[in-house]
Amino acid sequence: MHYTFDIEKGNFTNAGNASGSVKKTLKQLNVDPSSIKRIVVALYEAEINAVAHAYGGKIDIDIDGDKIVMVVADQGPGIPNIELAMTEGYSTASQKVREMGFGAGMGLPNMKKNTDKLDIQTELGVGTTITMTVFLKN
Amino acid sequence: MSENGSYFYHALRVDRNVCTGCTHCLRSCPTEAIRIRKGKAVIYSNKCIDCGECFKVCPSHAIYIKQDDFELLDDYKYRIALVPATFIGQFANDVKTSQIYACLKKIGFTHTYEVEHAVSFLIELYKQYMAEHDEIDTFISPYCPAIVRLIQVRFPSLVHNIIHLNAPLDIASIVIRQRLVEAGIPGEDIGIFYVSPCAAKIAAVKSPAEGKKSIITGVINMDFLYNKVKLMLSNSKSIVEPINHSLTGNDVLWGLTTGESRNFNNSCFAVDGIRNAIEFLEKVEDEEISANGLVEMRACDQSCVGGVLCPTNRFVAKQKLKARAEIIDSKPKKEDSDHKVAFNNKEFAEKIAEMVKIDEIKPRSILKLNDNLQIALRMVENMKRIEGMLPGIDCSACGAPTCNALAEDVIRNESKIENCIFAHKKMEEFYKVMFDIWGEDLKTL
Repeated sequence: MHYTFDIEKGNFTNAGNASGSVKKTLKQLNVDPSSIKRIVVALYEAEINAVAHAYGGKIDIDIDGDKIVMVVADQGPGIPNIELAMTEGYSTASQKVREMGFGAGMGLPNMKKNTDKLDIQTELGVGTTITMTVFLKN
Repeated sequence: MSENGSYFYHALRVDRNVCTGCTHCLRSCPTEAIRIRKGKAVIYSNKCIDCGECFKVCPSHAIYIKQDDFELLDDYKYRIALVPATFIGQFANDVKTSQIYACLKKIGFTHTYEVEHAVSFLIELYKQYMAEHDEIDTFISPYCPAIVRLIQVRFPSLVHNIIHLNAPLDIASIVIRQRLVEAGIPGEDIGIFYVSPCAAKIAAVKSPAEGKKSIITGVINMDFLYNKVKLMLSNSKSIVEPINHSLTGNDVLWGLTTGESRNFNNSCFAVDGIRNAIEFLEKVEDEEISANGLVEMRACDQSCVGGVLCPTNRFVAKQKLKARAEIIDSKPKKEDSDHKVAFNNKEFAEKIAEMVKIDEIKPRSILKLNDNLQIALRMVENMKRIEGMLPGIDCSACGAPTCNALAEDVIRNESKIENCIFAHKKMEEFYKVMFDIWGEDLKTL
């Protein structure tokens, strides 16, 4: 099962579309509610991150019998210091983003917390690709 | 059928003789619980949450709400009318509450008891519950049974967020029964009849979400009783019964939107309307919204005054209740009635607090396709394929509310793709080509 979604820079209102449709499928698959919650929260954070920081991007989601793999690839500034970005509360979000209630510096830490595997590939000035894996049980 | 094989009671029924199969109801249903089969609406028992949306939109009044036989009252020596303030709100403000109660007595009840007598006690119970469960931040009120059922079937991950206490009407009935029993009246002589503004509360009385049997004896539809009282009032205005009631303004407002949340801190929410509730719950589920306290949530617009069995326009009824509340608050506070004083007895209050606890509200997802993940995954893939063959205009002519719902029905073996008139048309073209090549004889094969 494969899904693709586009990410548009600065469009916070549409962020959440990907997590919304994935959520319905996961409920149909009878995945246990706590795993669904973790997946949806992680994916939403990744969507928001890309919307806030990048110039655009794409989400690819694959569900097979035992896991869900979510790849969020953006064209953007890249993450200069991953270790720092993983720190709770550390944020480089602009004032505009913060005024909208985002940018609390919990994005990456929340993704880490809610997934079984988190891989970050980033190149300054080119973009970031985040791959999140959650193993499914039902 | 529920998982343990027992039947879910539903108050909403379809009169097959009247139903024209017009599809209004299936498009309005928030849980996609209705299909048109053989030209008539069919309600799926496991999916229906008794919200009454179908009842509201049915142009031919083919959907009706079953009520208990009024003669059931005759079986009991003590007949208690359990009345929500919403009922009083149906009448003009020059009609005194005492007049309405006098009519109820004339109609055949021996006692009247207001549901909202338990409100201040309940607020304390909620506060205590929330303090005891500090691992939860968003608490959903158990007030509206359609919301509780909605969460069970569509948001199974949120059942833990529902406050596991009986709804006010159950609490009120537990209290009145307990008081009468303590006064020496044998339990079997007591019949408690709830005057319901909606289908959901009837269903909740008949088969409570937590699976226990309700102690409410029967349910009387509010419009039915309204007509009886109204007729009596127009014949004789002079009947007055001195009443012993001491509801506060706050109690009277309890059933309106913000009635609950106004008693708690500022980070609480008040949501009314079933579509609004769904939108809100989706966001709570995604942790986009979290309340640091109570979420009051009612399925009907404007809450209970918007119930399908309320004869008076909901905005008018709301305004009347607000006016009543204001009048009560402007007068010097009355002495508490016996009903309220009863809670001052610590032993009694503790006993009731224990009785209204609910062990478990079970999730019962209507979305899951199969318990086996592999099979379910294949079904989802097939569903996507089938949906690709459908026009995507959600015309409902196939008998399902949307193309997506038809695709799901097909993979569940509950419908056929040919029921789609567009797919059927395509198939006809295909057959025509076949017949041109192989001859009309193919039809007889």
